[in-house]
Amino acid sequence: MKGLLGLMLCLVALPAAAIDGTQILQKVDRNLEPESYESYRQLTDIQPDGSKKVSVLYTMKKGRDKVVALFLAPASDKGRVTLRLGDNMWLYIPDVGRPIRITSLQSVTGSVFNNADILRIDYTAEYNVEAAEEQKDAYLLSLKAKTGEVAYDKLKMWVDKQVLLPTTIECYAASGLLLKTLHFSNIKDFGGGIKRPATLETDSPLYKGYKSVMQWSGLKKRDFADEIFTLNYLPRIQELRK
Amino acid sequence: MRLAWRPRLLWPVVLLFAAVGIRAQEEPGFDASQFEKKPFELDGYVQLKQEHFTLNPPGAFYKLNYYNQPQLEHLDRTTGTLQLAGKLRPGIGTFDFRTNSDLWRDQLGSDRNTVVYEAAYSARPNPGLTMEVGKRAMRWGKGYAWNPIGFVERPKDPNDPTLAREGYGMADADLIFSPGGDLRTIAFTPVVLPVSENLNSDFGASGHLNPAAKLYLLYRDTDIDFAWLGKGSRPERYGMDFSRNLVSNFEIHGEWARILNFQKPVTDATGQVTIDTRNTTNWLAGLRYLTESDTTYIAEYYRNGTGYSTAEFDQFYQLVDTAFATANAALVQKSLFLSQSGYGRPNPGQDYIYLRVQQKDALGIVYFQPAIFAIMNWQDHSYQVTPELQYTGINNLELRFRAFLLYGGKSTDFGEKQNSRKLEVYARYYF
Repeated sequence: MKGLLGLMLCLVALPAAAIDGTQILQKVDRNLEPESYESYRQLTDIQPDGSKKVSVLYTMKKGRDKVVALFLAPASDKGRVTLRLGDNMWLYIPDVGRPIRITSLQSVTGSVFNNADILRIDYTAEYNVEAAEEQKDAYLLSLKAKTGEVAYDKLKMWVDKQVLLPTTIECYAASGLLLKTLHFSNIKDFGGGIKRPATLETDSPLYKGYKSVMQWSGLKKRDFADEIFTLNYLPRIQELRK
Repeated sequence: MRLAWRPRLLWPVVLLFAAVGIRAQEEPGFDASQFEKKPFELDGYVQLKQEHFTLNPPGAFYKLNYYNQPQLEHLDRTTGTLQLAGKLRPGIGTFDFRTNSDLWRDQLGSDRNTVVYEAAYSARPNPGLTMEVGKRAMRWGKGYAWNPIGFVERPKDPNDPTLAREGYGMADADLIFSPGGDLRTIAFTPVVLPVSENLNSDFGASGHLNPAAKLYLLYRDTDIDFAWLGKGSRPERYGMDFSRNLVSNFEIHGEWARILNFQKPVTDATGQVTIDTRNTTNWLAGLRYLTESDTTYIAEYYRNGTGYSTAEFDQFYQLVDTAFATANAALVQKSLFLSQSGYGRPNPGQDYIYLRVQQKDALGIVYFQPAIFAIMNWQDHSYQVTPELQYTGINNLELRFRAFLLYGGKSTDFGEKQNSRKLEVYARYYF
């Protein structure tokens, strides 16, 4: 009888634990951003001597894997547009006049943030939950990339249990090397039911002394036509801003 | 379009240093409202460039380009550039423009010009349809250094492929569809590029509308284009290109173009010119590879079916040698004409290799990018090597140094150029 009860408990508990991790990640995705939205972001790259380089991007996302980002500053990058469709990424430079393919590990801004960070799509679109562990104030999710095209092979994500938002994410290469750590802070009410961290800081053992900070503003739901997320539309992206 | 324009000699210097003084102020907080769309926007850059040429007096193109000029071993040129780009948003559409103004001075004198690169009005009734009319620089193709399917554009300079270029007056449209599934995007771009005595006269023979079109497909993570230019000012041609990431850090691309009834003037050593008319093919294959340490490799092979073979060049160089050795004015004029009608264009040969290696954040210095690129004429093995240093660590300021080193013997592509060396340094400030 005890054996049967134990077996039943296992059957109930095992799928529940697996579903919890995935459900938590799905909630993290939606709590961070609506599925389709627009936002402004400021990227500040801080060098060891304290000097800063600031970029401002206007970002649009649709669905789980369509993102486009337009550079509004600095003047040297103004008008550049990056597009991501799933694993495909392109950079459009007005002087060059045609999009070129870029990779997720490059950085169009030259910052610690790479293109995968700047053009981030839903975590559930790129990662499977390998393990979920409950800690005192957080869930610790261990995520594994679905394909070899994803920028980071593994993530360790600490999720605040109260608000189901990430606080810290460690990003690892397939070799197990820690590539960077992302720190979320400054939870802000953007209106429209969107309450999420307004600041993301990153540091990397590969860039000792360097730090990059991403700040959000004007994040709100907005629907876009699919045609906007195409190479032909990139030169006209800035006309979509209101 | 070239406009007579006479600003003060030192205006690029003044503008450059004035602009550098206006450093963007960084606000402690981030307020997106200051970045809202404005009815009128103006930006651009000022640039000051210094070039030192080591000339190549034995070279055929030195003799031709310095004909009836003071003979020099070296030339130092200072160039100031102002490039302006603006947008005006009246009604439902957008008017945008880009102008380029240069002022330069060297031992032979000084000159200036202003060129309108682009000036077009575009309207978008819906996201899937854009119509525009005006001067527009189209860029077709996937090649980095060359674009065989760049049917309706001025040729790219392989020494500076990312430089903005002057466009042509045209009417064009963009129809975009996103059907979903494996075929994620379809985009059709029809173009009409009329040529008359006053419009696009350097495109070719006047009196033609020159219809052209491009069809773009994103099919299963591969970019594919089909392009066509109808018979008119230039012979009819069609072609295609593709680009795809095999893995995230390794991209391959290719272009192929077929030109019907292409006419190529070919001279013999006596100046007897025949027109070689045939269907010909231009194609390009290339790759781009990024290593874990942020080194980028770009390699391309370009087959230029419209170019000249080594044997054809031999005849032309003999003609130039004879013309100048005998001081035969008629032969010199014929050589000059031929140099302007094909032999003297950039990369006039038939087989080229391009290789570029660049390192991001080299020597642990963020925003410092050294690079080296080489262009080789595969038939005569003459080549050019160009080391390059670039620094963009100061807000909106770009500093670049390059040394062009040309190698090749007598009667070779790079051995007969006007210069054997060139040093170039510029400071460019964006505003």
